[in-house]
Amino acid sequence: MIPYILYVLFALGGAAIYLAMPKPSGSQRRAALVLGVGVIAGLLALMSMHFVAPNSNNFFFYMFAGLAILAAGRVVTHPVPTYSAVYFALVILCVAVLLVIQRAEFLAVALIIIYAGAILVTYAFVIMLAQQSGAVSTDTRAREPLMAILVSFVIAGAIAGKIEQIDAVPVKMTAQVPQAVTDVPIETTLPATEMESGHTKAIGEIMFGPYLVVVELSGILLLIAMVGAIAISRKQVPIEDTGEPKLPVGQIGREVPPF
Amino acid sequence: MISDADIILIKEPKLSAADKLYLTQIAEGVKVTLNHLFFKPKVTVQYPEEKRKLRVDNYRGVHRLNRDPDDRVACVACFMCETACPAHCIHIVAAESPWEDREKYPQQFDIDELRCIYCGMCEEACPVDAIELTTEYDIVGQSRDEMIFDKEKLLNVYDQTKDIKPRKNPKISGYQGTGDREKYDQLRERLEKMVGEREPGESKSTGTEATEGNAQ
Amino acid sequence: MLSWLENQVVFSAVLSLVLITGMMTCVAYCIYFERKISAWIQDRQGPNRVGFLGLFGNFHFWGLGQPIADGAKFFLKEDIIPARVDKPLFILAPAISMIVALIGFVVIPWGGSYMLGETLMNVQVANPDVGLLYILGVGSMGVYGVVLGGWASNNKYSMYGAVRATAQMLSYEIPMGVAILVVVLASGQLRLEEIVLGQVGGNGLWNIVLHPVSFLILLITLFAETNRAPFDLAEAEQELVGGFHTEYSSMKFAMFFLGEYVHMITGSAFICVLFLGGWELSFFGIGPAFPGTGIEDVGLISVIIKIGVLAVKVAFFIFLFMLVRWTLPRFRFDQLMRLAWKGLIPVSLGILLLTVFGLYMGWQRSVLFNLGGEIAIVAATLGVVVLANKPVTGRQDNMPAVTQPLGG
Repeated sequence: MIPYILYVLFALGGAAIYLAMPKPSGSQRRAALVLGVGVIAGLLALMSMHFVAPNSNNFFFYMFAGLAILAAGRVVTHPVPTYSAVYFALVILCVAVLLVIQRAEFLAVALIIIYAGAILVTYAFVIMLAQQSGAVSTDTRAREPLMAILVSFVIAGAIAGKIEQIDAVPVKMTAQVPQAVTDVPIETTLPATEMESGHTKAIGEIMFGPYLVVVELSGILLLIAMVGAIAISRKQVPIEDTGEPKLPVGQIGREVPPF
Repeated sequence: MISDADIILIKEPKLSAADKLYLTQIAEGVKVTLNHLFFKPKVTVQYPEEKRKLRVDNYRGVHRLNRDPDDRVACVACFMCETACPAHCIHIVAAESPWEDREKYPQQFDIDELRCIYCGMCEEACPVDAIELTTEYDIVGQSRDEMIFDKEKLLNVYDQTKDIKPRKNPKISGYQGTGDREKYDQLRERLEKMVGEREPGESKSTGTEATEGNAQ
Repeated sequence: MLSWLENQVVFSAVLSLVLITGMMTCVAYCIYFERKISAWIQDRQGPNRVGFLGLFGNFHFWGLGQPIADGAKFFLKEDIIPARVDKPLFILAPAISMIVALIGFVVIPWGGSYMLGETLMNVQVANPDVGLLYILGVGSMGVYGVVLGGWASNNKYSMYGAVRATAQMLSYEIPMGVAILVVVLASGQLRLEEIVLGQVGGNGLWNIVLHPVSFLILLITLFAETNRAPFDLAEAEQELVGGFHTEYSSMKFAMFFLGEYVHMITGSAFICVLFLGGWELSFFGIGPAFPGTGIEDVGLISVIIKIGVLAVKVAFFIFLFMLVRWTLPRFRFDQLMRLAWKGLIPVSLGILLLTVFGLYMGWQRSVLFNLGGEIAIVAATLGVVVLANKPVTGRQDNMPAVTQPLGG
């Protein structure tokens, strides 16, 4: 039963996004807003009934999860690219809050530093540089709204339907670290009371323990990408010869010591 | 045309190894500013309480209308200053002089101190050294009207500044008009005839008309 | 009596209230001292007229009433929102700038621990596991105020200011992060309180002794991150009118202004905590801490002394910020970029490598290794610079050579 409710909700969500998309004929903002808020409320209600009932502890989860979805909708539907970037930053911040609620402070702060602090600022930078004379018409409307929404919401619905089938009780995920690295397996999901020191150390030990090769490989990949980007973008532009005779320094006049 | 000898070539300074780190140069600069911060005397003049000494004696500040030794206004309402004024800030209403030694006197003498550019042309133009510029510069007012100095105010300025800057040419008694006594008498006769034909009240209006004509 | 305070949450709330009040007062007087110091450096007197309503006759308290008058002026000025600006972002930008600057200070350990009744309190609003990264994250958000303000103003000068600020902050965050990483590696901690505890006299040396070059790099990048001279290209008056805040007036401008100064205070406190032992008072961590400032001193008086010690250290840095502002001319933009990418980043990466090596060998506490290594890296950099025979801050290769006579 629940998967079908989820699918219906996702379909409605897709419809809401479609309505809110900037179109030359003008978008139905109000209907989209009503529908979108209804879908988010439905999703959260479904979650609260099926998984965890809202209480004072997870109030912030419901608040920021709803806000994140709403902001994510605006990222896609806002006609001004700069606003999209700002809403994206809002999504990142909301997700960071959700991570803090999960006591994953390191992930939360890393997300903020990398996404909100670096990548999105670069986006904003590029948008500002590219659109000094106002937004271009191709940027203010969606090109293939129907197909994009169809594909993305089918994927999202499929994932959500699958997640729903997973047992609602939190799984105690245990990363089995080889005995050679540590004697005890590191537990990444601990009850809140046991995690006074936070996750940072555990993440570090996992990243540079069993997954060292993967981390290093992705690092090398990024480095290669950076070198490639620099090689593509940076071209030495020769200074044009203006044809004026260049006077050698000291040919005319008298030289004085600087300052 | 600049001759080659006048051309100065400045090459970029050669930086030493330490200079290229930039930090030593910062230290140099900070040394200078710290020296100024703590040890150099402060040069600010706390203006209303203390005033800077005037650098020139003939500083051109606010105007004054001089008095002659008999304490009358020295001006003879000749309109020379009004004509000379490039800013058109002087307005004179002339009237027949009540005294024997001159034919006209300023019934009204206004200087708009806000329009004035303090060039001193009026002082140059005045044939009797009646208008002079003083060294006072801190004149203030709360409205534009207040800054239009009338005859009383200008004479008042003279009273206040005569000790600091005495009048250049105090002699006014026995002033003989244009110098040619005969011509002067003839002119006076003709003038009296003209004035006599009019109503006594209208006689003043000649001055007003002249002022307006000049202003245009 | 104060039992309701014996709860870290309540205590933190009260502390943050006290800190915000204190911070705003400090900022107001920072502006006053900025004006005074700039005046003294230029052989002037500075503001000395505004006293306290003339209550004390002709004695004006050296103009100490000036911040109050300034604040009143900002509130009473007309708040202009120009016609063609992007209104929501125009209003949001100064708020972001201010908020981001203000939330940075919550993880600064102001005075160690405080025994209140039976409970041991942290004199710190929050002590998260990732306090140091939190400051970095908040700092990286700071650029949004500038960027959005500049973009929303619909003014080319604001726009140029915003573009410059973005490029500058992105570039200088890298050496900043790497310089901080050195401390993290050396102390093995991300909690700021623990980093301070590691530097308390007897426990270990101040990090400035071990990593002077990292300290210098962090200081330089802080100048850039706070948009202060010589890195204030985002608001270069001679070229960009006011830069990103050209269109702002009244309280909105004041929020940018206050944000900059709060940023300065937080940044100074941060650098004190990382490199100068925070609230701890001893001679560079050599020998025991002075009485009243040790770890075991948790009484009210020692907490006040500790806060005072940190305040003095912070005040020194603020003075340095101001002194440098009124001493150095602004960088040219290519010089700025070159300093970050060709100067600071390689050096800081070298130091990072050195520290990792020291950590591997177990030498992370060795003065000889750290100090010697950092000096060697700087010397090597200098050697490269000298061999290349190009001034660090001079002309680039692809700029035309100077052939025309200059001046004359």
